[in-house]
Amino acid sequence: MIQIIATAESAEQAQALAETGVNTLLVGEDEFGLRLPASFTLEEIGALTNMAHHRGAKVCVAVNAVMHNDRIRKLPAYLLALRKIGVDAISVGDPGAVQVMRTHQIDIPYVYDAHTLVTNARQINFWTKRGAVGAVLARELTFEEIKAIAAQVSVPLEILVYGATCIHQSKRPLVDNYLQFTEQPRESKKGFFLSEPKQPDTHYSIYEDRNGTHIFATDDVNLVPYLGELAEAGLRVWKMDGIFTRGETFVNIAGLLAEARRAIEAGQWTAETAASLNERIKDLHPKERSLGEGFFTKQADDVQ
Amino acid sequence: MKKPELLAPAGTLEKLKIAIRYGADAVYIGGNQYGLRSRAGNFNLDEMREGVAFAKAFGAKVYVAANMVTHEGDEVGVGDYFRSLRDIGIHAVIVSDPALIEICATEAPGLPIHLSTQASAANYETLNFWHSEGLERVVLAREVSMDEIAEMRKNTEVEIETFIHGAMCISYSGRCVLSNYMSARDANRGGCSQSCRWKYDLYEMPKPGVRQSVLAGEPVEEFSMSAVDLSMIRHIPDLVKNGVDSLKIEGRMKSIHYVSTVCNVYRQAIDAYCADPEHYEFQQAWEDELWKVAQRELSTGFYYGVPTEDQQLFGKRRKIPAYSFIGQVLEYDSTTGIAAIEQRNNFGVGDEVEFYGPGFTHYHYRIEEMWDENNQPIDRAPNPMMIVKLKVDAPLKPFDMMRKALPD
Repeated sequence: MIQIIATAESAEQAQALAETGVNTLLVGEDEFGLRLPASFTLEEIGALTNMAHHRGAKVCVAVNAVMHNDRIRKLPAYLLALRKIGVDAISVGDPGAVQVMRTHQIDIPYVYDAHTLVTNARQINFWTKRGAVGAVLARELTFEEIKAIAAQVSVPLEILVYGATCIHQSKRPLVDNYLQFTEQPRESKKGFFLSEPKQPDTHYSIYEDRNGTHIFATDDVNLVPYLGELAEAGLRVWKMDGIFTRGETFVNIAGLLAEARRAIEAGQWTAETAASLNERIKDLHPKERSLGEGFFTKQADDVQ
Repeated sequence: MKKPELLAPAGTLEKLKIAIRYGADAVYIGGNQYGLRSRAGNFNLDEMREGVAFAKAFGAKVYVAANMVTHEGDEVGVGDYFRSLRDIGIHAVIVSDPALIEICATEAPGLPIHLSTQASAANYETLNFWHSEGLERVVLAREVSMDEIAEMRKNTEVEIETFIHGAMCISYSGRCVLSNYMSARDANRGGCSQSCRWKYDLYEMPKPGVRQSVLAGEPVEEFSMSAVDLSMIRHIPDLVKNGVDSLKIEGRMKSIHYVSTVCNVYRQAIDAYCADPEHYEFQQAWEDELWKVAQRELSTGFYYGVPTEDQQLFGKRRKIPAYSFIGQVLEYDSTTGIAAIEQRNNFGVGDEVEFYGPGFTHYHYRIEEMWDENNQPIDRAPNPMMIVKLKVDAPLKPFDMMRKALPD
């Protein structure tokens, strides 16, 4: 059974995603979760969880920030509130959160999500032994590496099949520091991007929030042409990230992934289906952003 | 009050010995595998044995960094490697990857594990987690403030190590793969191409498809993430009072000039403070000494607040470095006052030079006469590693270093 997990930016969008076939809605509050399309309060998470459960969908709350003392101190109360709401899972990237769950005996299933640090089956098995019920694969893995990992783990692996990839997180306000230095202060530190001087086509989105400065890869990931192979390799939790693909567009893309799932599960996935879905995704994808396979189609020794 | 360890980088056996002679209580080195400095000089097992024996004679320790984030297959052989390190007498390994932590704990029991800064440990519960997993020490994320360290100390028993000097990753270490995407070099496996130090164009997009440059300034200032370097020389008392167990100097790629100078300075400050905290006074000479080997401006990183634009490498910078390393003393004959120097950079008659040695000894000297190893008078010493003799009127010691100011 293939699962689709997608970020949500509002209650309305969450409902539309659930109705279009998304199995798990990924939301969170930006004090504890990273790079979310929107920050949801506990109250909003409660309402969204009710909505999702009525529609047979699940809710995973992002608790995957790199936390400092001030946040880890607030975490027990936050996790207890999430447990009370009855969310289905949380994602965790800071071992401090695992420690908090241990010492406070807060038993919410957690998915290990430390972004760049999930690159080897032994890492995943380490966290599985310590309670993780799943893991999110790093984006910097080739398909060969992913298959090797999948063959050695006992929990479901989430793989980003559509959306943006963060490639840098600094705690420094890198955009603001530049704007201050050049005396052009701005209210909003969002909507900027970097280019390498010799490669003007590159487009690294960069923004600041309470977790610091985040930089994203030029290409958003699109693995639609490979969904059949993913399913065959046992990679059946497909993740979608909507931080730069908003509103209805994102819901429509989720719909295409649900179509792909139906085709695969019905044994009707063909090269033509893949090509046609891929064209439709490209049409829907924001025009100012490019798509690519990231590291998925590279060879392990392409990277030194 | 516990006196913290001074921990120095050692890219080679020579640097290891110099760092320890100049006051390091411990050094960290890399092996030929599993580390993050593929381009630093790295140690084979024989060199490690020699390093450990040398350190032991000085009561110092040797740690080995094995802090890569492994992909499938990278971990092959690491169990044997960790056992070899343990059996050689390495005091601890510095690791960030849980895969390697687990292999070390199960296959090389008895070898202490330190969590690398690559794991970005930034709160006391994370420290407690790793302590409960059996780790001896955690190297903090560079983003942790002094107040946060104070609170951590009250809430954890695990040893705390923190950076006090050197270059800084601009990101949460381990959470940066710029290099992977921009140069196909894996930052977390030793390939970092320092993309954060590059210059970039910065744009905004007021409408989809419209790119509008945000670059400004006169002349135009390109966007960069590049940060100035860290120096905590003015804040040793805070670090000691807050119970930091180990004070770490960055830079396995740095020269013996750099390593000797930085170790020498911090050794003085730590000893002075711990000997008599009440009457401790910061010495400007220490900071002046650090400037002689500085490669960028210096700052306090995140210790006393989130860094502003003043800690970024924007605009015009002062001329750096200020000094050139020109020689190392091999011998000194106290009856004749003749010192034999091994040349490391061109110098000659008329140069104003400075000798320095362990214990923060300094001696300023103008070269009037010099001789080659056959006692023939010479004017210049142009050849690398050539032996030069000088008559000096202060006692020098083997392993004292000689430098000169670069012209403005």
